[in-house]
Formats: sequence, C-alpha cells, structure tokens
Amino acid sequence: MIEFKQVSKKYPTGQLALYNVNLTLEAGEMVFITGHSGAGKSTLLKLVAMLERPSKGEVLIGGRSLSKLGKSQIPNYRRRIGFIFQDPHLLYDRSVFDNIALPLLISGMGQADIRRRVHAALDKVGMVDKEKTFPLMLSAGEKQRVGIARAMVNKPTIILADEPTGNLDPELSQDIMFTFAQFNELGATVMIASHDHALVDRMKKRTIVLQKVES
Amino acid sequence: MSTPTPTKVSPKRNRSSGANPLGAWFNQQTNAVKFSMERLWFNPLSTWITLAAIAIALSLPTSLHLLLKNLQTLTADKREVPTISLFLKQNVAEQHAKDLAELVSGLPEVENVNVVTKDEALAKFSKITGFAKTLETLTDNPLPNVLVITPRLNLLGDMNLDAEGFSAKLKKYPEVDDVQIDVEWIQRLRAILSIAERIVVVVGVLLGLTVLLVVGNTIRLDIENRKDEIRVTRLIGATNSYIRRPFIYGGIWFGLFGGILSLVIVHLALLFLVKPVGELADLYGSTFTLSGVDVLMTLEILAASSLLGIIGAWLAVGRYLWQDEQAA
Repeated sequence: MIEFKQVSKKYPTGQLALYNVNLTLEAGEMVFITGHSGAGKSTLLKLVAMLERPSKGEVLIGGRSLSKLGKSQIPNYRRRIGFIFQDPHLLYDRSVFDNIALPLLISGMGQADIRRRVHAALDKVGMVDKEKTFPLMLSAGEKQRVGIARAMVNKPTIILADEPTGNLDPELSQDIMFTFAQFNELGATVMIASHDHALVDRMKKRTIVLQKVES
Repeated sequence: MSTPTPTKVSPKRNRSSGANPLGAWFNQQTNAVKFSMERLWFNPLSTWITLAAIAIALSLPTSLHLLLKNLQTLTADKREVPTISLFLKQNVAEQHAKDLAELVSGLPEVENVNVVTKDEALAKFSKITGFAKTLETLTDNPLPNVLVITPRLNLLGDMNLDAEGFSAKLKKYPEVDDVQIDVEWIQRLRAILSIAERIVVVVGVLLGLTVLLVVGNTIRLDIENRKDEIRVTRLIGATNSYIRRPFIYGGIWFGLFGGILSLVIVHLALLFLVKPVGELADLYGSTFTLSGVDVLMTLEILAASSLLGIIGAWLAVGRYLWQDEQAA
C-alpha cells in the first residue's frame, strides 16, 4: 500500500531529515514510527501526504509513484488521507460541526449527507453533544478528538497521525490510540508517529524506529 | 468514546455516495457566500473603511459623469437652441424682409425663420428697457428688420459645422447688413464638454484602478490572516478554486456594497444641489432640472464595481496561490 524506495529528504536549510529509507506497509496495516525528535518521523508522514517531496527516491501509494501525480491531482489524492497533527489545527471561527464538515464540503458532498456523516464521526469520538461548540471552549483532549473526527469523516484509506497524543494525559492517549486501532480494523492503513514508547509498546503493533541521520 | 459500528464505515470507502453534483456545487457556493459574508461582519471597522474608500473612489467619476450629462442635456435642449440673427439693412422694407425669410427658410441648414420687424423690435425694446420716453423723441425707428434663424439641430451636433462659412453665405445676400451667430458659443461648449468627457474617462479609469487596489489589498490582508486556514484546507484536499471561492465572493461584496454606498453619496450630493440649481435655472428663465442616476446607470455602476471587486480579489488570491505553489 505504502512503499518508500531509497527515500532521502534534505531540506533547503541543509538539514538531512531522512537518508535512504526503504519501507513497505501492507494495505490495512497499522505501524508506529518512533525515534528521537529530529529523526524524521514528521517528514516521513509529510512525504506520504505530499506536504513535502523527496529529494531522492520515490514514495509509492498503491503501486503508483507520487512523483507522477500532477498538481491538479494532489487535492483529490489528499482527500483519501486523514492527517492528524499534534496540534489539531482547528479553524477557530467555526463550530465543531463546521470543522468536521470541512473535508466533506471540499469533496463536494450535499448538505444532507454531510449532516449524517458528521454526526457519525462525532459519535465515534464521543462528542455528539459538542456539535455547536466553538474550538476555543474545548479542552486539549476534545480538540484532538475533533481533529481526529475531521480526519476520519471522509473515510480515508490512509490515516497519518503525527504525535497525536503529544499534549494529552496517558488515559486519554490510550483512548485515542484505541480509536485509531478501530479505524485500522475497518480497513484503513494507519501510520502513527510517536515518541511515547510505553504507549507504543502496549499497542503491540509493528514499530519502525528511525535513527537520527549523522550529517 | 463509543465503539464504532462497522456498518457505518464501509470497507469499500465509496466517496461519491450518490450525491448529485449540482446540489453539491450549490452547497459549496452557498457555504462560500455565507462564510465570505461572515468575514465582513467579523471585522466591521476594516470592512467599513474599505467600503468607504471604494465608495468615494467610485462616487467621484460618477458625479463628474452626471455633471457632464446634465450640461449635455442643457445644450441639447430644444428650447435652449441658440439662434442666428440676420440684421437687414435699414432701407429694406418689411415685405422684402418677409420674402427674404421665405428664401432663407429653404436653405438646408435652416429649421425655421422668424421675422422680427423693426416696429415689433422697437415696441419690445421700449418695453424692456424703459427707454419708452426717449424713444418717443425719435422721428425714425433706428432699428433694422431682423430675421431670427433657428438652425437645424443636427447641424449643431456636428462639430465640423462651418459656422463661419454659413455666416458668409448669409452675408452674401445684398439685403443683409450683419450676421450674429449664437451657434459659436454652443460649439465651443461642446468642444469643452468633449474634453471633459475624456477627463471623466481618465478619472474613471484611475479611480477604477484605485478600487481594484483597495479590494486587492483588503483581500490580501484577509489571506494573510487566514494562511493557517488555507494550509489546513489544502491538507484535507481543497482545490485552488475551493480556496479562491470565498475570497472572490468577498471581492464581490466589497465591490457591490461599495457601489451601493457610492450611489448613496451621489444621491445625497444631488439632493444638496437640486435647490440652488433650480434657482439658478429660474434666473436664466430655463426649465432645466438636475437629472440624477437612472436605473440603467445604477445597474451599470453596480455591475462595474462588482466586476472590479472580482478582479481585485482574483489578482490577490492568484498571486498568493502562485507564491504558495512556488514554495511547495
């Protein structure tokens, strides 16, 4: 499903984030990416989401190289990906409902379908009663769950999470990891970058450790 | 957190879900309209400042245009059409003058001819000037017979009308002593008006550019404030046209509301002027009234200002998207 072939990434600042990464994820697999900060965990996820392009090598999704994807195809490709950040990047001038509805609106769904899907997503993260709330009034954990709902609402085939539990207490972190596991069981390929080793160990999934590149 | 029900997420991940494309398009548009409107309310002060700048920039060429239009109706008014006075020689008899009038009225440049006999002229003169007593002492009437010629209107519109040539032609009649042409001043006025028309065009273009810049700059600032939002929407698969849409609507609102405000300004200015202009017209014995902005012109102004808003917004977003693409 996701394949890295001799991928290196060097930023314009000269920082070498990834060097010669070879990695294959099967469809429906759930993996954790760990490693010290600066080891390139975020870069790895960004390459999949096409937020960055590799300096060398190529990333293949479903057998197709991302480098062959034209600019106009990127939006469509991204709609198949759910991306969750450490900071959920919610839009603060819109209600929880509107935040979660955004990906559906972008992919051109009708209002009735949007309503149904958003409610399903809210239900999944346990925030049905917060539909009309604005993000500023939510706790960190709630914001993160809204971020997850937004990433899931489009039923993506690939879920990428960059330190999704970075700001959360252990209990909530565990909860969120189980949510990801549930989505994985429903068929999504999941990549989670985390430095929380204890939590990663408990999940008993394949774990990839990135070493910091000595440059 | 509740457990997800497997039925809700189909493994096939069908994304079209049978939504009709027109409805979806409509939904996206209404959302863009809604959000772009909310943005205007979100920052009322800057919105009003922008609208005021646009309105002032638009009202200036509009009012200049109105002024010009009014001056043009003034010169095109049939009642105000100037005349050519043909002073006949003293020895020309009244009947002779009438014959000549017949002759002159046959000329292609002439609409009609009115004969003012020397007796009529004297009577009028004594009545107007109050010289009646003085005039009574005169044994002879010193005034000549006069033919008052109204030239054809289409002649007046023609800037190349050879007033001098026409006057020379009239002078050739042996009975004619002198020709006084009032046409010249109106031709000069028309020449001035046609220069003023150009000035209005130049001012209009410059201030139109101002509107473009004002809208463009406002939208640019709006984009700066929403960079994070744009980044997020891009990440969840927003196309350039999706990102552009609310800003374009924003541009339309700025243009449209700015245009409406400018019309309000122009109407207030007209109300302010209508009374003194009427008084002035009275003093000149004219029935001239100030004409305002008609429906067609209103629509034209609103369409033009909205279009300027769209273009301004388009340029601002286009520049941002281009930069963004270069950076990626």
